[in-house]
Amino acid sequence: MVGLLFMFAMPLLLVVIITIVQDSAFRQINENQMSLLIINHDSSEQSAQLITLLEKSRMFDIEQKNETPADEVKNTLIRKGKLTALYIPENFSEQLNKKAALVARVMLADMGLFENNAVEKEPEMPELQFYHDPVLQDAYSYTIVSIIRSHLDVVENSLMIDVIYQLVGIEKKPDTFRDAMMANTVSINQQPASKVNIKPNTTQHNIPAWTIFAMFFIVVSLGSNIVKERMNGSFIRLKTMPVNFSLIFGSKMIVYVSVAVLQVVAVFSVGVFLFPVMNLPQLILPGNFFVLFIVVLIIALAAVSYALMIGALSKTQEQANGIGAVSIIIFAALGGILVPVFVMPDIMKIISNFSPLYWCLESFYFLFLKGGNWTQIIPVLIPIIIFILLCQMITYIQLKVEKII
Amino acid sequence: MSDDVCISINNLSKKYKNSKEESLKGVSFSVTRGEKFGVLGPNGAGKTTLISVLCGILPATKGNFSYYKNGKPLSNHEIKSGIGYVPQDFAFYDELTPMQNLHYFGAIHNLNKKTIEERAEEIFTILGISKVSDKKTKIFSGGLKRRINLAIGIIHKPSVLFLDEPTVGADVQSKHAMIEYLKKLNNEGTTIIYTSHHMAEAEEFCDRIAFINNGSIIECDNLNNLMKKHDITDLQSLFISLTGEGYFD
Repeated sequence: MVGLLFMFAMPLLLVVIITIVQDSAFRQINENQMSLLIINHDSSEQSAQLITLLEKSRMFDIEQKNETPADEVKNTLIRKGKLTALYIPENFSEQLNKKAALVARVMLADMGLFENNAVEKEPEMPELQFYHDPVLQDAYSYTIVSIIRSHLDVVENSLMIDVIYQLVGIEKKPDTFRDAMMANTVSINQQPASKVNIKPNTTQHNIPAWTIFAMFFIVVSLGSNIVKERMNGSFIRLKTMPVNFSLIFGSKMIVYVSVAVLQVVAVFSVGVFLFPVMNLPQLILPGNFFVLFIVVLIIALAAVSYALMIGALSKTQEQANGIGAVSIIIFAALGGILVPVFVMPDIMKIISNFSPLYWCLESFYFLFLKGGNWTQIIPVLIPIIIFILLCQMITYIQLKVEKII
Repeated sequence: MSDDVCISINNLSKKYKNSKEESLKGVSFSVTRGEKFGVLGPNGAGKTTLISVLCGILPATKGNFSYYKNGKPLSNHEIKSGIGYVPQDFAFYDELTPMQNLHYFGAIHNLNKKTIEERAEEIFTILGISKVSDKKTKIFSGGLKRRINLAIGIIHKPSVLFLDEPTVGADVQSKHAMIEYLKKLNNEGTTIIYTSHHMAEAEEFCDRIAFINNGSIIECDNLNNLMKKHDITDLQSLFISLTGEGYFD
């Protein structure tokens, strides 16, 4: 009973917790405002313009503490409980102006609109300091720096245009032009390369991934049961009875495959019915239920076959539990459950092909994200079927060696 | 073949794959229907191997054995349907209750639910399991587990029952209950093949005894004849006399 509860409660908790965490992280960056402490030691227009742009972006909850000395920024960030801080040095605008003037003069000289005989020294580029709480992961820091960078580009471009206007004799550039520059409204529409209209989100990614992980965790329960039955003589006893052992083994597989399928039903139901109530994106199931069922069945069979193999090869229940659990975590890491395969180094991408969870995840992603059909899914299912046959064969040989079958 | 013969064993040998010596060396004897037949010997003598071969768990390397009913040999399926096996280990599911275990193993013997429940009630009453029949077996004492191990082996009323040290580790009450019930089963017609290291128990229980040592049957007769032959008055002295005082494992 506890085992069954564990098998069902664990995947539900996994998908709920991980989706909430990832979804909130996504919203933290994209919807919620990140706290940003700004220490501006530059009193000119460009720094003010940058701050205005950051404020207008509505991505940051900005607090200014301009009186903070440069060497106190870190302490202030920690003391005030902020995640990030941006330090704008005293000479920021001055250096930015020098750079803009140089670029504008070179450009106009190239166009023959300005005579620039002087050999100008490349000015030092102004340097902003970005501080972040050490708990903030690199990925988030890079995102925030990129956002600041994009707004900084607007300021730089605007300044450069100002200088060009001045050099060609127009003292003040028209507001319409300034507004157009500042608006920065070029939008990029994200279009998933999918045959169906499914928007990739934390739910569509996490539910298939963690469901597979949970299905393979059946190794802990089934693997140790097989060891127990091998070791305590239950299998031997069955051998003295008027029944074909393959029937006993087949029955076990049917029961555990059914449990794995029920796990999937439970987790998918949570995604479809509970997630919207929890303000999480709803799970959109693939249109072709038959293909989904076959894929689920094959993945369940792979998980059960692996558990049987671990159970047949292990000498103790502890060994089965340890090897089973650790191997699934390794397979999950290699297979892209924990970190997407596309961000892995090339060698790891090759190794990931040896993880059954990679192929299981690929088959689910074809269904849940790409709207894949039979033609696309079959090549992904073949490695899983090979894995199933391999596990079954090793199990058979081992039980044969032990004279159990 | 005589109608009384239940099992006939001819020149049976067994050699394990990685072993240099044969564990059974040309063993031959027969067991009569309704007999309580003891197989005694020191550790490693070949008792469990002999029972494993006769139950179909291990294949014999040489020789053969046959089961008979009314002088006619039985098929493999008839043998498996008719034998009961009680191993040394607690070969059942400790996550299940005694009743659930009997239902599982009974169903494998093609018994229906009603028959299993009737048989279980009788066995549980005699073996003192009734009060705990709905509790998980993993919490039970060694003696109680021994009785459940026996109960599973006899749920289908086997005509031949193999008992591999069935009372080892059990308390006096458990041993008593089991031996008494085995006698009852034997009176009802069950042939029993039994191994044990309890000489007093074997002396009281067995009609005929085969002494096995180093894979060979060194004596096989009823106890009185053996004692007369060796001029010894108790089974333990006879055992030492036949197998020596040295250790074997």
